[in-house]
Amino acid sequence: MTAAAPAGSPAGPSGSAPGDGGGPAPDGSADERLVHRSLPARLMRRPELGAVVGAIALFVFFSLVADSFLRASSLSTVLYFSSTIGIMAVPVALLMIGGEFDLSTGVMVTSSALVSSMFSYQMTANTWVGVGVSLLVTLAIGFFNGFMLTRTKLPSFIITLGTFLMLTGLNLGMTKLISGTVTTKSISDMEGFDSARAVFASTLTLGGVDVQITVVWWLALIVLATWILLRTRAGNWIFAVGGGVDAARAVGVPVGRTKIGLYMGVALAAWISGQHLLFNYDTVQSGEGVGNELIYIAAAVIGGCLLTGGYGSAVGAAVGAFIFGMANKGIVYAQWNPDWFKFFLGAMLLLATLLNAWIRKRAEVTR
Amino acid sequence: MATVQRSRRSRASVRATGAVVAAVLAAVAALAGCSSTGGKRAEEARDQAASGKANVTTPRWKIAMVTHSGDGDTYWDIVQSGAKQAAAKDNIEFLYSHDKEAGRQAQLVQAAIDKKVDGLIVTLAKPSAMKNVVRKAVKKGIPVVTINSGQEVSSAYGALTHIGQDEQTAGEAVGKELNRRGREKAVCLLHEQGNVGHEQRCDGIRKTFDGKVEDLYVDGTNMPGVQSSVEAKLQSDKKVDTVVTLGAPFAATAVQAKQDAGSKAEIDTFDLNSKVATGLKDGSIGFAVDQQPYLQGYQSVDLLWLYRYNADMLGGGKPVLTGPQILTKKDAGKLEEFTKRGTR
Amino acid sequence: MSDGSDEKAGAAGDDRAQPLVELAEVSKFYGNIRALQDVSLQVHTGEITCVLGDNGAGKSTLIKIVSGLHQHDAGAFRIQGEDVRLGSPREALDRGIATVYQDLAVVPLMPVWRNFFLGSEPVKGRGPLRRMDVDEMRRTTHSALLRMGIDLRDVDQPIGTLSGGERQSVAIARAVHFGAKVLVLDEPTAALGVKQSGVVLKYVAAARDAGLGVVLITHNPHHAYLVGDRFVLLKRGSMAAAYEKSGLELEELVRQMAGGSELEELSHELGR
Repeated sequence: MTAAAPAGSPAGPSGSAPGDGGGPAPDGSADERLVHRSLPARLMRRPELGAVVGAIALFVFFSLVADSFLRASSLSTVLYFSSTIGIMAVPVALLMIGGEFDLSTGVMVTSSALVSSMFSYQMTANTWVGVGVSLLVTLAIGFFNGFMLTRTKLPSFIITLGTFLMLTGLNLGMTKLISGTVTTKSISDMEGFDSARAVFASTLTLGGVDVQITVVWWLALIVLATWILLRTRAGNWIFAVGGGVDAARAVGVPVGRTKIGLYMGVALAAWISGQHLLFNYDTVQSGEGVGNELIYIAAAVIGGCLLTGGYGSAVGAAVGAFIFGMANKGIVYAQWNPDWFKFFLGAMLLLATLLNAWIRKRAEVTR
Repeated sequence: MATVQRSRRSRASVRATGAVVAAVLAAVAALAGCSSTGGKRAEEARDQAASGKANVTTPRWKIAMVTHSGDGDTYWDIVQSGAKQAAAKDNIEFLYSHDKEAGRQAQLVQAAIDKKVDGLIVTLAKPSAMKNVVRKAVKKGIPVVTINSGQEVSSAYGALTHIGQDEQTAGEAVGKELNRRGREKAVCLLHEQGNVGHEQRCDGIRKTFDGKVEDLYVDGTNMPGVQSSVEAKLQSDKKVDTVVTLGAPFAATAVQAKQDAGSKAEIDTFDLNSKVATGLKDGSIGFAVDQQPYLQGYQSVDLLWLYRYNADMLGGGKPVLTGPQILTKKDAGKLEEFTKRGTR
Repeated sequence: MSDGSDEKAGAAGDDRAQPLVELAEVSKFYGNIRALQDVSLQVHTGEITCVLGDNGAGKSTLIKIVSGLHQHDAGAFRIQGEDVRLGSPREALDRGIATVYQDLAVVPLMPVWRNFFLGSEPVKGRGPLRRMDVDEMRRTTHSALLRMGIDLRDVDQPIGTLSGGERQSVAIARAVHFGAKVLVLDEPTAALGVKQSGVVLKYVAAARDAGLGVVLITHNPHHAYLVGDRFVLLKRGSMAAAYEKSGLELEELVRQMAGGSELEELSHELGR
């Protein structure tokens, strides 16, 4: 009860806001006993801790068994693959924290690429026009998912399963109808292709190491998502609609708008991924992308997102994607018998997730 | 872009969404639309009609083709083009259906039997599952031709003939070609785990190739995944001097992976598409081994027509081979044109 | 017998200042099921109005009308003398009516400070840099809870790690902090032990002392009698009785709650 002193003036403590900085700076005031919480204890509370430990373990493991794994060029390859997963896994994690699933993400990426490519080609338009149209269409798909969810109150599993199947059919049907084949025509000789490629599918050389631009997009999305999640009102609402939707509604959180926003965020990332797919290979296979949605969800879960919502982090999902990337490519670097490829991949994912769950349990005990 | 993203995500408000829409529309308008190169307009300029009119007097027969193709497979698209071309010429109503799962493919064959078709074209990728239903069709008096896969069992099931390429033979042809080119270590890139035909192709290479062959499995529905796996393989094993892809779309991806990995490996591929033709032309792809899918489609429909019209049959009890045909730089010129219109 | 006290309560209400919230003969129907009929109650500044009743007596329907989740079908609902019909919980909040539900008061996985400000987060900065004032939120949470007499060691801990009583108390402190004029509490002590219930009742009294009008929904007459100023008894959707604190014995309240004459009959049947 030492802290009874400031009880009188609610305005008093708020006046000193700037002095406190971002972190828990010990300014000596009596009610800041929480400051003395030890660093390990605070780390233990982070949702991504398990994933980080798993990632380090996996990294050390492959460094030991695969001698080519530690080369800069190899790491750049691993990072590239991780980024193509991670660009989607980060917003998918936000959506899962918000308590919802999206099974249409994998094919939505393909849809986005197809729209962009076919619009430019059929209209003989500058490729940037196709890119813009694709953004609108993809966001509309995300809006549709969120809107249907909030209107019908059906589980997101059903809604997005429907979207998934519809998009799979549309991808094939529309491509066949418009292009005459199941692959889009090459747009590499069209205006605007080179600049769009520079934005979505170029390679940067940083200190002698080639880094794909998707890695930059990935990092930008991690920063943006973390900012939204931890520092904005929307972030507070995301945690709330996932962790206790009725409580959130009762205090006036706009539940429907938050969820629609989350689905549109996923769509935005699908657009980025889709444009990468298009401008990296300049033609798009209309059947691609099926199955990737589960990989994105897996990455988010490995990264510490609860399947039931309300808990998780964007950084965690990114680390989850990195784990997936390392496991997937590490097996190639280690030159293991490919017949067992999928088994090792599955076992490693399971291990990482178990480790993650174990650490979280430990963290709760220490608290 | 970052500002636009953030304002929409953080506020999740209708107003902000409206702003994004307006901004994108403005950007589209600012770019003023058109591309003076490539696109549909260029295609129309070079396009010649590839379809025709029926010029036979036979009644309108109904022929069904049931394949084990997955959704959106380029290869089967070309088979269909060929079949449709023959159907147009021969006044035939052409029905196409497909399912990559053998059980469901068998049901599709049953559906074709129920429709009382005048001819049936099937693929036997997983023969045992198809056995009963094919025999049933034969028993009902429907002439059956098998294509693409199932060469070994085709006649045993009662099919009139088989049109296709022997996967093993095709692989062997690749092995020989690699020897001729003095290659030493090849990677066989399998984009579908558990596909028997794919395994046979790699085994064929292994049989005739004097160098070493390693298998690399990738997930064909995830292009960045394919690219990075090939990159990883080339980085980890510098002795690899050849990558053989089993499907045309993966050849271009392998080329990209090779460039990113800074490797000098040669990329060779099974099957053909317009990007492979371009690759052959500019030298980024060494050779392609083709089994001529257009021919498989065209020939099977035409052959069934001939059988009904004149009781003709090709092969003399042996399979009719459409491949392997090794294609290199010297073939690239005309192939590029044909691949672009979707017939090679 | 109950008629007399009923009238007394009504008469006593009229000669005082205008009530914060008043229900006058309010009814609510779901299809042709009568959920609530002719229920009247008043909530005054600095007073606690207890609504008592067994399960299915209509308590939750009443709470839904006051908190804006449902609308009444007949009678009058007045806030500071003005006839209203609330369209949403948000509208009720804007009019100063805050409701704390038994189960869904808080989001368990979120830290205390995030819960405290949920839905009314303070922001600073502008444009894309608009963000929550996190330091301010942490500090205010701590001080606001302290003012209600709740001393939390760590506002960063998930609120789910607090005890049931503490969680209710945080929700009450939140309503007080955000300037609610009327606090509606749905069975705040229902799932709690004796000691925890006492803690919560202490905070309910603290809210009253802070000048709020409180509606306390409960089925425990002992808890109600401890803090209540007015009492409304619901039975099968209609008002069975209304009392003021003066002129009411605890025994009477307990007897009424337990079923009144029904209980006497029961005791005869069970008597040996």
